[in-house]
Amino acid sequence: MTEQTPGTPSEGAAEPGPPTEPPTEPSTGAPSEPRTVAARVPRPRSARTAAAVLVATGVLVIAGALLYDVVAVRTGHPALRWRAETADELATRHLDDLWVLIGAGAAALLGGRLLWLAFAPGLRRWLALRPHGETAAAIDRAGVGHLLADRAAGLPGVEHIVIRINRRRVRVTLVGPADPAFVQARLREELARVTLARPLRLDVRADRPGSGTRGAGG
Amino acid sequence: MSRSTVNRVLLGVAGVVLLAVGVLVLAGGLDLYGRLGVDPPSWWPLTSPDQPVVSVRTRTRWVDASWWWPAVIGGLTVLVAGMIWWLFAQLRRSGPASIDVPTPGAPGLRLRLRTHALEDALETGTVVLPEVERAGVRLVRAPGGPRLRGAVRLTPGGDPAALVEHFDTGPRADAAASLGLTALRADLRVRVLRAKHTEPRRRGRRRQPRVR
Repeated sequence: MTEQTPGTPSEGAAEPGPPTEPPTEPSTGAPSEPRTVAARVPRPRSARTAAAVLVATGVLVIAGALLYDVVAVRTGHPALRWRAETADELATRHLDDLWVLIGAGAAALLGGRLLWLAFAPGLRRWLALRPHGETAAAIDRAGVGHLLADRAAGLPGVEHIVIRINRRRVRVTLVGPADPAFVQARLREELARVTLARPLRLDVRADRPGSGTRGAGG
Repeated sequence: MSRSTVNRVLLGVAGVVLLAVGVLVLAGGLDLYGRLGVDPPSWWPLTSPDQPVVSVRTRTRWVDASWWWPAVIGGLTVLVAGMIWWLFAQLRRSGPASIDVPTPGAPGLRLRLRTHALEDALETGTVVLPEVERAGVRLVRAPGGPRLRGAVRLTPGGDPAALVEHFDTGPRADAAASLGLTALRADLRVRVLRAKHTEPRRRGRRRQPRVR
């Protein structure tokens, strides 16, 4: 169950090899099997469906209304009031008008947000696992937390535990007489069992009401 | 081009347009050019805080040209049609309705399998794997052949690495073999449930580990 990381000896063997790019060379670590060499697993990318629906609907409503009104005016009908008013406002309000500045700021913020959505991978909830064969996999961050919490709850001397996970590290705060180093070793075994493509750092610290806070680095 | 690529490119274009308009108006309205001592070229729009956003002269500049109204109407029509296409691209089912099954030894026979039937078979094969509580599998179109997309929920304390291995050598390999595909790539999303006994979050009380 507690699979020792076999990547460690292969990394040591790869160091005296070619100094150009040792981690991405699977051929240098000959004794280790290829699956356990930490491969560059691409981060899962979101399809951005919700944002696309919102932007498409917004542009569709504005462009459709404009098209309808332009065609109506060309065929002899009077322009709708909202278009005449908008054109009038745009022609009379100057650039230093407060509402113009507020609108420009909002447009810039929205544009920046859309650019962020276009370039950021998204799916921050999911952490990539090491693939097996043709199957790529990702586990949700809360699921890793559940595994750690369940493992910690069965340990002696652990009364209460708080686990916070971000994309790089796990911070565990434990209440109880248990030794943080002991808990950290057990939790590290559990974390190794998950086989994340990019392993998380693990910090365990004890939060003792009497003796203050004692930390154990990871 | 995949749907994700299309969405990201179009979102990026919309973002650039909005950001450019907003920054131009802000720079003109706050008179950043004057304060920073930058002298924009003569054709640069919106340089003075005292000018209107879109003056009547700007708006009616090309109204008398014969190409103006056809261009406006044509452009708006293209924009509306494109947005409708983009919207429906989000609703479209991302996989084929059916998939070819090889029929070796029967050259005249063409056999197709409903994707739903294949997905049902894959789900049944995944749910019976150890520690799996619930599973859903879809077949989607992707560059370089169809692709499986699975969502699996594991029981508390489940082993994600073992699940990935079992899925790869079990249901996925079976489906690839029966479809006659040399490669059938799969993406799994794994979630793990939490054991019931970890719920009370109170200090100083020892929780009894309970096994379901």
